[in-house]
Amino acid sequence: MAQLPTHSSAWDMSPPEPVDLSSGKYVKLWQGPQHPGITGNMSLELTLCGDEIVECKTHVGYLHRGFEKFMERRTFIQNFTVVCRIAVPEPTFNEYLYSAAVEELAGIEVPERAQWLRALNLEMMRLASFVMWTGGMSGAFGLYTVPNWTLTYRDYLLDLFEELTGARIYHMYIVPGGVRNPLPDGWKERTLEILKGTEKLLYEVERVMFNNAVFKARSKGLGLITPDMIDPYGIVGPNARACGFARDLRKDEPYLVYDQLDFEVITGTASDAYERAWVRQQEMHQCIDLIRQMLERTPDSGPFQARMPNVLHWKIPPGETYLKAECTRGEYGYYLVTDGSEYLRRVHVRGPSYTHAIAVMERLAVGTNIADIAGLMVSLHTYPPEIER
Amino acid sequence: MKLKDLISPFFVWQRAFEKPYTVSMRPIEERPGAPAYRGFHINLSEDCVGCGSCYTICQNHAIDMVEVEGLEAKSGDSGLRPRFDYGRCCWCGLCVDICTAGSLRMSNEYAWFTTDADEFRFVAGVENKSWDGRTGGYHRHPDYHLFPPKRVEMDMLGPEESVESFTEVVKGYSEEQARLEADRCVECGICVATCPAHMDVPDYIRSIRDGDYEKGLKLMYRTNPFPATCGRICTRRCEEVCPVGILGEPVAIRWLKRFIVDQVPAQEYQRILNDQPGSSGRRVAVIGAGPGGMSAAYYLRRKGHAVTVFEAEDKAGGMLRYGVPSYRLPDAALDKNLEYIRSLGVETKFNTRVGRDIQLAELLDGYDAVFISTGLWVPSSMRIQGEDHPRVMAGLRVLDEVANGRDPGIGKSVAVIGGGNAAMDAARVSRRLGAEVTILYRRRIEDMPADPEEIHEAQAEGVRIVIQAIPVEVTDAEQPGRVAIKWGEAEMVPDPKGGRPRPVLQEDRMHLDSFDTIISAIGQGSDLDFISKQDQEQLEVKWGKFIAGDYQATRMQKLFVGGDVANRTADAISAIEDGHHAARGIDRFLTGSAGSGTP
Amino acid sequence: MNTVDEVLDYAIGQEEEAAAFYASLAQRAEKAGMKDVLMDFSHEEQRHKERLLAVKQGEHELTPEQNVVDLKITDYLVDVDASDDISYQDALIVAMKRERAAYRLYSDMAEKVPEGELREVFVGLAKEEAKHKLFFESQYDDRVLSDN
Repeated sequence: MAQLPTHSSAWDMSPPEPVDLSSGKYVKLWQGPQHPGITGNMSLELTLCGDEIVECKTHVGYLHRGFEKFMERRTFIQNFTVVCRIAVPEPTFNEYLYSAAVEELAGIEVPERAQWLRALNLEMMRLASFVMWTGGMSGAFGLYTVPNWTLTYRDYLLDLFEELTGARIYHMYIVPGGVRNPLPDGWKERTLEILKGTEKLLYEVERVMFNNAVFKARSKGLGLITPDMIDPYGIVGPNARACGFARDLRKDEPYLVYDQLDFEVITGTASDAYERAWVRQQEMHQCIDLIRQMLERTPDSGPFQARMPNVLHWKIPPGETYLKAECTRGEYGYYLVTDGSEYLRRVHVRGPSYTHAIAVMERLAVGTNIADIAGLMVSLHTYPPEIER
Repeated sequence: MKLKDLISPFFVWQRAFEKPYTVSMRPIEERPGAPAYRGFHINLSEDCVGCGSCYTICQNHAIDMVEVEGLEAKSGDSGLRPRFDYGRCCWCGLCVDICTAGSLRMSNEYAWFTTDADEFRFVAGVENKSWDGRTGGYHRHPDYHLFPPKRVEMDMLGPEESVESFTEVVKGYSEEQARLEADRCVECGICVATCPAHMDVPDYIRSIRDGDYEKGLKLMYRTNPFPATCGRICTRRCEEVCPVGILGEPVAIRWLKRFIVDQVPAQEYQRILNDQPGSSGRRVAVIGAGPGGMSAAYYLRRKGHAVTVFEAEDKAGGMLRYGVPSYRLPDAALDKNLEYIRSLGVETKFNTRVGRDIQLAELLDGYDAVFISTGLWVPSSMRIQGEDHPRVMAGLRVLDEVANGRDPGIGKSVAVIGGGNAAMDAARVSRRLGAEVTILYRRRIEDMPADPEEIHEAQAEGVRIVIQAIPVEVTDAEQPGRVAIKWGEAEMVPDPKGGRPRPVLQEDRMHLDSFDTIISAIGQGSDLDFISKQDQEQLEVKWGKFIAGDYQATRMQKLFVGGDVANRTADAISAIEDGHHAARGIDRFLTGSAGSGTP
Repeated sequence: MNTVDEVLDYAIGQEEEAAAFYASLAQRAEKAGMKDVLMDFSHEEQRHKERLLAVKQGEHELTPEQNVVDLKITDYLVDVDASDDISYQDALIVAMKRERAAYRLYSDMAEKVPEGELREVFVGLAKEEAKHKLFFESQYDDRVLSDN
């Protein structure tokens, strides 16, 4: 067995010995860009020595759609329909952050009822996203029953979105000024039903996935993120919390109505794939609890939209802002610059996968068994669309 | 390795005994979209006005406004309808959110199979689709607005205050108010088509948003040399068709026009408008210095022709000065417009009545073209017994006296017969002269031709309106110096031909009321006696009005007509456009060219 | 007049006389546009005459309607002269008054004859004149009384 490479410093990315491809010791393998083990379109160029990865280079660019430039050519209201596509599996945070950034620069205050509805939409999106992730996680290790369960059950959550917003994935519900409509009749009751069912699902998943010898054997010790990696690599979200860092934007810098809700930050002890999955499992329970709190406390009446100027010729005074929110993967940020015209001057979207899927992946892949590389990638919960927009 | 971890996974078998989540079904029929699902578009073509806001807001150019064969566009409808391209649409629903008429929504249909991809471009509401009758689907929530539906309220004098004097009742917008109101325009341009003068409304409203009032002024003078006047008293047909007014309140176009004009002082006009009339060597005579005549004079001067205006009164303005009271149109605003026109070198001969001081034949001889815009100055008679009583006055005469600064001597109690704008003006003027006023109108309030705003303000100022009152006889009152009017209640009967109901006198319900003065304002006619019998043979006159041809021409080559005496709408803006159009026509006639290009 | 035919002949004669009256007034009319208006009135009377002729030939019946609306406008208007410089308003008043007079005539005659075919003819003719009066009164209501 080859020596496991050691790294003297966190920034040292080079392999300890130069890789001589003609020596016959190494094989280069491309995982991706179309691969079930990649949660999107990107590729990992893996250099293997036997079963073990000695080097991993990530290649992105397959999903660069030029959003940030595109958005400079659309008016503020038109952009709201576009941003959800930036992070395809979890679009709602884009809608929220874009709208909130625009509102801040335009000086628009969103009414309270809209804040509650926004937070409700976001928490449900987190739940739906985690549910899908759970399926991905267990599927990456070949345990295909759980994905069938979770992706099926996720459909019920998508049904709820469809009733509330008019669409299942690209909701286009959180708009600059507020939200597009209040809760439909009976939606609250249906949601509570589905949440009960989700809890049952989580219980079943726990029995079958977390109390599973195969899963435990493969995920424990896989892709261990050490505490000294967190800050230099900018690791956020459950990846960091599993390491013991109690960092959650909903608690640290509360936005919307999170300062009025009752919840604790969930942490783990050592961030390997198993622990990260376990943190996410608990966060799903937390989501359900938060949604229940919000359903109870969301105001039934009152405006859900601020007084908007005519959006057909809406100019926003010059300014810049950076807003962030806690999505399933961690800190999601929008940087927006306006110049007084009808168009934004610059927008930059910061998705957590920007670090997780590239630098962190390349670092953690070294020394991993080729069979586990998919599991590693999924355990970091990466979404390639948000890397390159 | 715990034993539990080896056994626990077998828990999955419990699913074998549960009901399946997914069943085989035909989803299209059995699983419709949610009630608020954003599916395929439905547009109610009868409600749609083709404003094009959906086209403007669509971020992917998925909508085009297209003409529809066989569609009869009513007033306020552009005649275009949106065509959706489902190769580009992302079903975001912004088009539905911005729809001003509320005609566009989405169904909850989501499946469409066809072998012809071109079918995916369709005109919703015109091409029948299978989902047109669906009730489910996304529609804009009534409390959700992408533009402010309510108008910025205009500051006005309250009725107790306004009735005390002739101070202008409407105070005008502040800059901030004007900006907020100008923001509501969706720039569809339907107002442009409806305005008789086709003023560049969306563009001058935009100049308010941009703070460029000089540009706004220039835009207005392209089509209307009386912006300060129209900005106060226009009949504003534009506002009646403004699509924002379908579900909300129409943009206050008239007040915005006034705002721009009030920002620019008269001394700046010369520099900003930069009208530098040349000299074509042709001379045109204009009869009547009202809005029609002066508008013609302005545009003729711009085209370089020499203009002489013949006016029977001693000042210019026509009905604007001698008909409209100054609390609606202050003299200063009217003079601002008239002075600028005259500053271009328009020669005016006041106190000169054609037919008495000079003959039409002389004008036809001595000038290269003649434009008649003499208006309707002859008050209609009631033709009832006792009408020639000394205490009966024509409404126009009362207004004329007041406009000249004289007291018409109406006394303390007045009855006004009629329901048009002249009657309202006479009534409100009488209130300001300290009289108690009762209006007697033959029909119902909704039949009154007066501006509803005027009726409302008259009532607020204490004018009593008696509807369905038919005057039958005027006699002496018991007290000397007063007059009595015998009138009867009318019942509305349906018109046999299907028009609006007509009032029929009920002879068993008669009244006798006494007043100091009775003001008759039942209608106005023309005085065309200055036209000789031979000339009359040539010209087309019907019911006292000229019938104008293209470019306001008549069958006499040199003679053009316009204004109240030649149109059916009888308002200032129509007269202004008639004058402008006649100027175009005269210019073509004089230069022999088919339109020189100068507007 | 004792027979239906004689009555109809009289009525026809009246219509002819009216047509001639308006035509002659038209020739003398001085105010702009009045010649055309009065010639229109004359043609209207011509059409009434032709209608009565058709009734006489048995081609159709006199007015079958129950009642013709009476706008009562004419009753309270003063008499006007059919002068050379007659205005549109006054021309209509002249026409309305003539029609009312004709209506009165036929109504009175209807009262004076016993029930039967003759009375029916008079009643029918009265209704015809009432319709003509309504025609003119409607114009007056629409155009002259536009602001009242």
